[in-house]
Amino acid sequence: MHHYYISLLIFIPLLAAAAGLFVPAGAAKYFRYSTLFVNLFQALVLIAMVMEYIPGQGIQLVEKKDWITLNIGTWGILKAEYFVGVDGLSMPLVVLSVFVLLIATISSWTINKNVKGYFILLLILNAAIIGSFTALDFLLFYLFFEFMLLPMFFLIAIWGGARREYASIKFFLYTLLGSVFILIVMIGLYISVHDPNYSGQLVHSFSVLNMAEASNFISHTILDPNNAWMIGPMNARLWAFLLLFMGFAIKLPMVPVHTWLPDAHVEAPTPVSVILAALLLKIGGYGLARIAFPIFPEAAIHFSTFIGVMGVISIIYGGLNAMASKDLKRLIAYSSVSHMGFVLLGLASLTPEGIAGSVYQMFSHGIISAMLFLLVGVLYDRTHDRTIVNYSGLSTKMKAYTALVLVGFFASMGLPAFSGFIAEIMIFLGAFKANSVNGLLHESLAIIATLGLILGAAYYLWTLQRMFFGPYDLKGNIAHDSIYDLTDREYLMLVPLAIAVLFFGIFPQPMINIIDPFAQNFSEFVLRAGKSLTLNP
Amino acid sequence: MPDTPTHYTAFFEICLLLVVLLPLLSFVVSGRIPERYSWAVTFTAPLFLLISTICAIYVFTAVWHHQPYSAKVDWFAIGGTMVSAGIYLNDIAALMLLVVTFISFLVHVYSTGYMAGDAGITRYFSMLGFFTFAMLGIVLADSLLLMFVFWELVGFSSYMLIGHWTEKEEAAAAAKKAFLLNRIGDAGFLVGLMLIWTNTGTFDIVQLSGINEAFSWQTTASLCLFAGVMGKSAQFPLLTWLPDAMEGPTPVSALIHAATMVAAGVFLLARVDFLFTPIALNTVAVVGILTALMAALSALVQFDIKKILAYSTISQLGLMVAAIGAGSPASAMLHLFTHAFFKAGLFLCAGIIIHVLHQAQQQAHEHFNVQDIRNLGGLRKKLPFTFLAFIICGSALAGIPFFSGFLSKDAILTAITIWKGEAFSWKWMVLASAFIVSFITVIYTFRMVWTIFMGEEKLTASLPVVEPPMIMRGPVAILSISSVWLLVDINPFSFEGWLFNTLHSGDHFHIGAISILSALWIVLAVSAAYFVFRNKTIHADLLLNNFYLDKLYFKVVGKPSWSLAAFTDYVDKRWIDGFIHASAYAQVTVAHLVGWFDRAIVDGTVNGMASLSRGVGNFTRSFQGGKIQGYILWAILAIIIFLIWVLF
Repeated sequence: MHHYYISLLIFIPLLAAAAGLFVPAGAAKYFRYSTLFVNLFQALVLIAMVMEYIPGQGIQLVEKKDWITLNIGTWGILKAEYFVGVDGLSMPLVVLSVFVLLIATISSWTINKNVKGYFILLLILNAAIIGSFTALDFLLFYLFFEFMLLPMFFLIAIWGGARREYASIKFFLYTLLGSVFILIVMIGLYISVHDPNYSGQLVHSFSVLNMAEASNFISHTILDPNNAWMIGPMNARLWAFLLLFMGFAIKLPMVPVHTWLPDAHVEAPTPVSVILAALLLKIGGYGLARIAFPIFPEAAIHFSTFIGVMGVISIIYGGLNAMASKDLKRLIAYSSVSHMGFVLLGLASLTPEGIAGSVYQMFSHGIISAMLFLLVGVLYDRTHDRTIVNYSGLSTKMKAYTALVLVGFFASMGLPAFSGFIAEIMIFLGAFKANSVNGLLHESLAIIATLGLILGAAYYLWTLQRMFFGPYDLKGNIAHDSIYDLTDREYLMLVPLAIAVLFFGIFPQPMINIIDPFAQNFSEFVLRAGKSLTLNP
Repeated sequence: MPDTPTHYTAFFEICLLLVVLLPLLSFVVSGRIPERYSWAVTFTAPLFLLISTICAIYVFTAVWHHQPYSAKVDWFAIGGTMVSAGIYLNDIAALMLLVVTFISFLVHVYSTGYMAGDAGITRYFSMLGFFTFAMLGIVLADSLLLMFVFWELVGFSSYMLIGHWTEKEEAAAAAKKAFLLNRIGDAGFLVGLMLIWTNTGTFDIVQLSGINEAFSWQTTASLCLFAGVMGKSAQFPLLTWLPDAMEGPTPVSALIHAATMVAAGVFLLARVDFLFTPIALNTVAVVGILTALMAALSALVQFDIKKILAYSTISQLGLMVAAIGAGSPASAMLHLFTHAFFKAGLFLCAGIIIHVLHQAQQQAHEHFNVQDIRNLGGLRKKLPFTFLAFIICGSALAGIPFFSGFLSKDAILTAITIWKGEAFSWKWMVLASAFIVSFITVIYTFRMVWTIFMGEEKLTASLPVVEPPMIMRGPVAILSISSVWLLVDINPFSFEGWLFNTLHSGDHFHIGAISILSALWIVLAVSAAYFVFRNKTIHADLLLNNFYLDKLYFKVVGKPSWSLAAFTDYVDKRWIDGFIHASAYAQVTVAHLVGWFDRAIVDGTVNGMASLSRGVGNFTRSFQGGKIQGYILWAILAIIIFLIWVLF
């Protein structure tokens, strides 16, 4: 049976973007509503997908078509496929993407500058994000991955704040550097891997699934697991893993390659911040789990302590930096750094708990960070000022807003009953247990990471105290009449997120049902494959 | 449920659900009531709690002294292991269920008077309902994970209620401090959960209690859980948040920061008592008694009536914790039970004083701090009812015979006496400290009564002070009545009543000598209070500031974290971004160099070649300008050169 769900998700926005090119730029309404329509249509497709999806059956809803087949003589045949599908790792992220992109479109209603360009870029970004989360061919993934950068760059550089050019170039260069690392590994893998379905002739494959099988590596190639080349002190596979890790860690972002994030966030318009935090960062974690870990399992084991330590550093460093932030949006950006550190810690543990927790954390942070950035946007729309100390006692003037800020802040600091708690508890349990079940991470890492929870409470509560409590006062050049409570449109985008955060905090099992089989297979596979490889160096 | 004994009927289960869910419903309903109809909340919220309390009484009678009730549903899978959410209702939980709903109901009723006219009254009752729900969650949870969930939620509602008056800066600061210190304890709790999960793979309390052997990890795990208790029950060193929490409305202080939430730590200890190894229990005992002593000393010198009561609460909690450490959860629970009533009563009395004096102040347009006991005096005449209630509840706190507190304190002293053993050891110090604490308790209680109610009126003399409405006096009356010995047993000198005997497993416990000694000790303390300390004010800055713990924490933890945060900011901006900017500049510089090289060397060479060929071209072209004179000149020159060449 043929499914076209994923293709529909990817190509409908692209078609809409192409159609939009022929519509006059003055038709602002058309662009807003057509994008919204695309999002709603995607939501319908997604519902059908979720109904069709059977948890625990591996990669599903697969679509596979020949894309590039190039005979290059003695070098064999180059073969890249249009190969997409979803499993327990990508399904939550696709759900998240469709949901957040819909909210982001609603939040884009206030964009008035060059509406046509904005929404066309948004649609392209939409397709690229969903493409990245579903592609199972490395070349296809890389294409979508690169495709994301361009619209993002322009969305920040044209619709951004005062220092938008600096921020967008920094964002672009950082991620481009990461892309180059990934590209190098991709070429290496392409040279080393063949498609086992073609016996007799040498067909080089980009399929991520083929790359994850040690038997598909051509012997004596650079990344051959049994005979990898030595480059300096380490073999090429370890180098390749590190390059991939760096490439995705920049996206994640991991300390110390995170400084693009606060700047990009501060300058980006609200909907772009939302997409950046909720979806783009997840590509980093997703890439590690989809590509880096399964393809180089022995390297993942080899570097697990390093990854875990980097995760803990991110958690604490991000938290400390959030505490020092004077700009509300910057604070939330740093809290993202802190929370994505948990993803690294969970992945490094290679326990089912930790892996499931990481995926859940990506999903949960997606909803929570979307909500937080929208909340900042609400205030910024009114006053064009995000300096924390310029506000005091907002709770007396903006009651509903304060209530939602409380939900967002407490959800972000991992209060039980919110989705972040479920994710973090699983990561903590997995990271702590790792040493006794697979000997990978020391228990102290999980213990130190609990400091992140305390820091989280500290910076959020301090912000609440300064901005929302105390006597009502505004400093700087904020006009008093600019303060008013939420509008209907703002309710429309914030309340669904708040409900989602609560729902997935109280009833996590529907989502865990999807994630758990993946997490168990993944943990079992990486450990087994990784250990068998280190045995035959 | 197959494992549920048959005598638990569907009716029972419905009642139990009502007990838990009605406060939650109150939270939702109160929160949704529009501002115009905010008065409605003063009817709905107490009504929900009343029904909840009635159901709780029924549930209590059905469970007490019977087989525990349990029910569970699957919650979510952690690494393939399904974690359930469920109810485990045994004797201790049933008792707590009753205490929480009953006192919460009384506080709800009282609050309708105390908070009347407050702008945030719907939010107030909403959070009060949420608190009750979360507290019941702690009480009923059958697994440590679920307990942790409600444990944190209780912390959240406490945060919201301490900070209820959002415009007060002190309230926001106190709320933050309370939540943060609780978070620090909770981080410990979380580590305990990790240890338990790693070693047993379950959080279920019943399953965990099946561990017969003592494993070495249990010491660490139980001490980690105890860290959570330190936060919630304000034990040393995390005790400094509770006095500050008095910034919240007084009924909240009565319910949350005296009777129920802060007792959750003691409840947790009693519930997971089996996890604690002897070393861990000794630690618990020492921390408990140290806290009791420190807080009692601090209570001695405070001036703010609510702060005195807060320190007294910490001190009493310390005694309960020490009793758990001494291996007698039954005595701790007994004291928790009696303390819940008399301390809530004392707080509500303090609330009455604050409330009526405020109202009187507004009428008379006078302003002074009504919580400062130095401004008060002689109020027995204007507030006879409150005076009587305060005396009764205060007597229970002081542990005077014929009051409930005497019996429960007696139980704790007995427990510590038995625990200390025959041979002389450091454990005797704990016992001695416990006696000292009960001595100091009498003195500070007496001091409160004396300064507030006896003597001549001070700043209040000119104020038109009247007793509050019945709605506020009713709950206080009920709590006062519940502070006499009859709550525990008919015999006023035996704590081994219905409660203790059910919770206590083991031998006959009561030692008559301790009761007599304790009674004599109290009499001595009362006389000392009357004859020695009556008109004395003790000045001790060390105690007034609670041993400067706040300053110490600020210096040791607060400031360094700050500097570290500022440092990370610096690292980001200077080092990391600096490096990136430097490499960007380096790249631009290299690009400029390359550009210069292109222009000067490469282009220069190319251009040089071009101009060279142009020069040569121009030169040679000039030979062929088409001027006949030029041709002749060159021809002659050529001939001359040729001739010179040939001839020489």
